[in-house]
Amino acid sequence: MRVKVISIPVQDQQTALDFYTGKLGFVKKHDVPLTGNDRWLTVVSKEEPDGAEILLEPSPNHLEAAGTYQKALYNAGIPYTQFDVDDVDETYRQLTALGVAFSVTPTEMGTVKIAVLDDTCGNHIQLVEML
Amino acid sequence: MTFYQQEINRIRENCYSNETHLMAVIRTRRFINAHFEKELNLQQLAQAGLTSKFHLLRLFKRYYGQTPKQYLTHKRIAQSIICLKKGMTVTDTCFSVGFECPSSFSTLFKQKTGLPPAAFQKKQFLQSTPDGV
Repeated sequence: MRVKVISIPVQDQQTALDFYTGKLGFVKKHDVPLTGNDRWLTVVSKEEPDGAEILLEPSPNHLEAAGTYQKALYNAGIPYTQFDVDDVDETYRQLTALGVAFSVTPTEMGTVKIAVLDDTCGNHIQLVEML
Repeated sequence: MTFYQQEINRIRENCYSNETHLMAVIRTRRFINAHFEKELNLQQLAQAGLTSKFHLLRLFKRYYGQTPKQYLTHKRIAQSIICLKKGMTVTDTCFSVGFECPSSFSTLFKQKTGLPPAAFQKKQFLQSTPDGV
């Protein structure tokens, strides 16, 4: 058993693709048309092109409960998932320069430093640096 | 302040209030990251962390969930993956990341990744060439 794909719920797949590739630096891996405007749309880390894929999944548009869950997490400021970075401060500087909004600025918490950004698709995403 | 920000503050106060302990384990981890390819023992790590050997063992396990030796092995295996992907031989990789014996390196590598180093390298090579798809 292997981890191949993890999904992030997004309200608009094209907006999500633009953000995850244009701002966060991920690379598109698969883009397969499905029904209507839906796509099987995945991105991967530039550093790990054969690593786990992130599925940008339009579930909030199709299942009310998915939208409700996403909104509840967002309103509480809870990250939907998290990504590792080498240097949270430097990543924070680069992303704020690109206009990315953060709900938590770089903050030390024991043996990690974290920051939390808004992915513009309904989610908070946490960045983590091990100290 | 959001619920999550409140939780960050609560967890920080409850779990990470001892700055001395934190600095000891963070210094130790940084020392391992900087010197993993050398022969390291607990005494050296304790000196780097400015604490005693047995105190360091307890603290490191508490804050990182693994012992310094387990973290050192993890670091060396992670680095060996990078070396193998670059095409370095298994033996050269073994010594360059700090292991002293190719056979124990192969055993540990298989335990951690599921494949012996040579098989791992072959798989990487096949995946990176068009004919290997």
